Amino acid sequence: MIFVIDDDEIMAECIARAVKKETKVFSNAITAISALNDEVPELIFLDILLDGPDGFTFLNELASYQDTAKIPIVIVTSLDVSNVDLSQYNVVGILSKDNMTPQEIKKYVDQI
Amino acid sequence: MEQEVNGILVAAHELKAPLSVLRQLALSFDFEEPAPSLEHIRSEMVSVSERAIKQVNDLTKIARLEDGLFTMEPVSVRAVCDDVTRELDYLFRYNKRELFVKYSNKAKLVTANRDLLHSVVYNFLLNAMHYSGEETRSELCINDCHDKVKISVRDFGPALPMDVWREMKRGWIKKPTSIAMRPGSSGLGLYIASKFSRYMNANVGAVRHRDGTSFFIELPVSTQARLF
Repeated sequence: MIFVIDDDEIMAECIARAVKKETKVFSNAITAISALNDEVPELIFLDILLDGPDGFTFLNELASYQDTAKIPIVIVTSLDVSNVDLSQYNVVGILSKDNMTPQEIKKYVDQI
Repeated sequence: MEQEVNGILVAAHELKAPLSVLRQLALSFDFEEPAPSLEHIRSEMVSVSERAIKQVNDLTKIARLEDGLFTMEPVSVRAVCDDVTRELDYLFRYNKRELFVKYSNKAKLVTANRDLLHSVVYNFLLNAMHYSGEETRSELCINDCHDKVKISVRDFGPALPMDVWREMKRGWIKKPTSIAMRPGSSGLGLYIASKFSRYMNANVGAVRHRDGTSFFIELPVSTQARLF
């Protein structure tokens, strides 16, 4: 199972299509955090600017629990996060919404 | 002023989100039987949205110029021009335009910001393509000019109106709307190029020809280049 967290419904749908695996789409961090109680996904595609708590809050939440700290995360954003220290999180990749392709999205899924 | 800058940044982000979605939607099309015409439409959708995203990103950069976030460093002019021509090659061919490139500079490095210079050349070339008729060519040239390197882009479109030429001669363009200079243009690309050039302390200008216009930027040769 792969989680896609993005408040833009169409963008989330595009990512889910590119993944070509079973996905659950969440429009905000709170519902995604709740879903983690029932299921630990293999990979999470995470937007940063979300309605309510942002992607960094979600990353902190994830890192604070033993069972979720090691879930690989791919950040999908239009922000420039190159200067942000992400070393404390299990971020395996960063995709820019400006120029990412379905192939690049799929590549992360294939690496699981 | 700060409020205005914040407004531009918020607006840019709001504009970029739907453009990114459009681009992603175009890339998501799965054709059961790929048809060349559909592939063309898809390519155009991706290309148009990418150009718009680039302009929105450039607007964001303009809003941040005053923060001095863009480092000036030794930059290879040819490498930047190569990147831009590679990026625009498809678009020129798709629109049945020819892109002619001539490098005759010996100085390799200039003092500039790579991203900003990339945007200046990109906007000059896009402008040239827009104003060149079918089957005509645009020329990208790099020449040494004393202690400067000159990048010029020549098109064979309508001549530049006198008032815009004067603005360019003065060194920069105050606002994009005044450059409705040539038909069908908001002048946004040249406004962006003008702003970025000014930030890099580069000379920017235009030359009127009887059969078109050349836009140019002159950048100081990097003193570090003398070490080689």
